[in-house]
Amino acid sequence: MKRLKRKKQNAGVGVNGNGPVTREPDCGRKQKLAEIHQALISDPVDIETLRRAAASRGGLLTDELRRKVWPKLLNINVYDLPHKPGRDVRENHKDYNQVLLDVRRSMKRFPKGMPATERAVLQEQLIDIILEVLKRNPQLHYYQGYHDVAVTLLLVVGERMAIALLDTLSNYHLRDFMDPTMDSTKHILNYLMPILEQVDTELHDFMMRSEVGTIFALSWLITWYGHVLSEFKHTLRLYDFFLASHPLMPIYLAATIVLHREKEVKQTECDMAMVHHLLSRIPQDLPYELLIAQSQDLFNQYPPSLLAKRAALQSRKSLSISTFQAFQLSTLHQRPDSVLQRLTKAQGSTTSRHASRHSGLEAALPRDRGQLWGKGNRIVKMAVWGLSATLGAAVFAVAQTAMDWGPEVLLQLF
Amino acid sequence: MAESGSSVEFSGSLTSSTLPPPRTRIFKIIVIGDSGVGKTCLTYRFCAGKFPEKTEATIGVDFRERLVEIDGEKIKIQLWDTAGQERFRKSMVQHYYRNVHAVVFVYDVTNAASFRSLPAWIEECKQHALGTEVPRILVGNKCDLQDSIQVGTDVAQQFADAHSMPVFETSAKNPSSHGDGSYGSGNSDHVEAIFMTVAHKLKSQKPLVLSQPSGGSGGTISLSSGMNDGGDGARSWGCSSC
Ligand SMILES: Nc1nc2c(ncn2[C@@H]2O[C@H](COP(=O)(O)OP(=O)(O)O)[C@@H](O)[C@H]2O)c(=O)[nH]1
Ligand SMILES: [Mg+2]
Repeated sequence: MKRLKRKKQNAGVGVNGNGPVTREPDCGRKQKLAEIHQALISDPVDIETLRRAAASRGGLLTDELRRKVWPKLLNINVYDLPHKPGRDVRENHKDYNQVLLDVRRSMKRFPKGMPATERAVLQEQLIDIILEVLKRNPQLHYYQGYHDVAVTLLLVVGERMAIALLDTLSNYHLRDFMDPTMDSTKHILNYLMPILEQVDTELHDFMMRSEVGTIFALSWLITWYGHVLSEFKHTLRLYDFFLASHPLMPIYLAATIVLHREKEVKQTECDMAMVHHLLSRIPQDLPYELLIAQSQDLFNQYPPSLLAKRAALQSRKSLSISTFQAFQLSTLHQRPDSVLQRLTKAQGSTTSRHASRHSGLEAALPRDRGQLWGKGNRIVKMAVWGLSATLGAAVFAVAQTAMDWGPEVLLQLF
Repeated sequence: MAESGSSVEFSGSLTSSTLPPPRTRIFKIIVIGDSGVGKTCLTYRFCAGKFPEKTEATIGVDFRERLVEIDGEKIKIQLWDTAGQERFRKSMVQHYYRNVHAVVFVYDVTNAASFRSLPAWIEECKQHALGTEVPRILVGNKCDLQDSIQVGTDVAQQFADAHSMPVFETSAKNPSSHGDGSYGSGNSDHVEAIFMTVAHKLKSQKPLVLSQPSGGSGGTISLSSGMNDGGDGARSWGCSSC
């Protein structure tokens, strides 16, 4: 474990792919890092500070921190993660074909420089984690776009932690999208126009006249913008924000984006097709930090409860909204990782040897994207990719990396 | 961006400076069918002139358009590319069935299930009050994959006849190649011909004459082996006249 720690530190902040974006105001960054760190070791974990950090300028700064903070935001014990899915996860699942189809053609979601073989391994993992979560939750139904959420998690936290995060997200934030029908999703989309109406009646009326509807924002909402942003660092920034926010926040951001483009919209021909076309294409150079701050303001000024008084929004209940408060409460009593590790280990040893399956390694597994397949990290790379493929490859990987990670860590992977 | 490079086909055609004069007629065509049959590739092929390198799942509705000239008239063809997953149809795509002028049903010739879904799609259209008076065509895609064909031309033809629509077999990937070798005349673009056929139909109810699409090479456009050439011309349009 010690060794691992050291490696983690080496892989730290500086080499992270999304460093440059957030680095300019360096003074604030250092302080933020310290605050996050402090919040993580507080007992109980200082979740309020973590939420604030995730939403405020720059978000969680690095993938290293995301691997530590995202689980806290979702009340997940990283020392008690689900097992890697077995082969049976793919058997007889009604959504298997659709998942396969969507994942196989989701090439764009993977970093550009990633070799095809490595991407292929991740795609297989992606199929597995999606099916695993669906299998654990028969009440949840796959939708096209769910894979865009899953891939974002997978690329940052690795397979096993991604299952845990996705499971919780699916039962809370994404819950409304996972009904057998999309009526609840439509209900959430119905919050969009009332927000616009509060802020800019003229724009609202223009859009109503055009009969554009709200489908242009559908993929934004149900993928948390993962489907429409081409820069992964922007997606991550938004995920930091949404993981720390109310489930309706993606809709407030949608409203903010439309408001931001108000002039363009009003100059467009007042026609469904034209307005849909304009809005459904998100400009890739949006000022994300500004928009995030504005959506928070909008949220505070016109909270969901206020909007819900409107007739159109009264007819239906949203599970994501109604369970949110309880969910937030549940995150308040988390122990820091050092304590969790000790506690979970103690618990594990009283049952079977295998039960102590959790490993801090999981947290370190995918390391930093871009570094994985970078030059200087051959051995780590072998281990990660080898382990994720077949059992045969996994054994091979152990042989390759035993010196690096120590057998006690590696054994816990199986 | 929902589809790779999907902004490409619009560059130019949608900026305000090149907006066609207001009198330009717009033909709205909705493209439906199971997930993965190639709806996105077909619409992209028609609007951008090439096979997209990577497509992604279509979430909700995507929109593509292209300006064409038919018999001297400039016409905007608007294609509404829809999500195939069932849950999207029911409550999402609905909105876009309104005011469409034509419907293109797509199945995948290498996937029998996608063919078996067609009755459900046709039913769905009916529910949105798009009856037989709205021109409808059937497109069997991916016929470049000759070795894995699961839906024969004759079966497709029978089905199309029964539903009074013409059927075309094509490939969004390689639209000028034909498995049976008998239609490989020159470099005519099949996908283009198909959508232009619909546009012609819309422009006029007169017997179809396929004019040369804008930018096309001189040759005659040959329609596919799956083309409905025997049916009752009154019921299924577009066939007996070619
Ligand atoms: N061989 C072949 N593959 C195709 C063709 N059209 C689409 N595809 C592939 O089929 C898959 C699904 O295509 P897509 O257009 O996304 O299907 P959609 O879900 O109906 O929009 C993609 O991997 C395409 O590359 C074709 O004509 N030939
Ligand atoms: Mg599609």
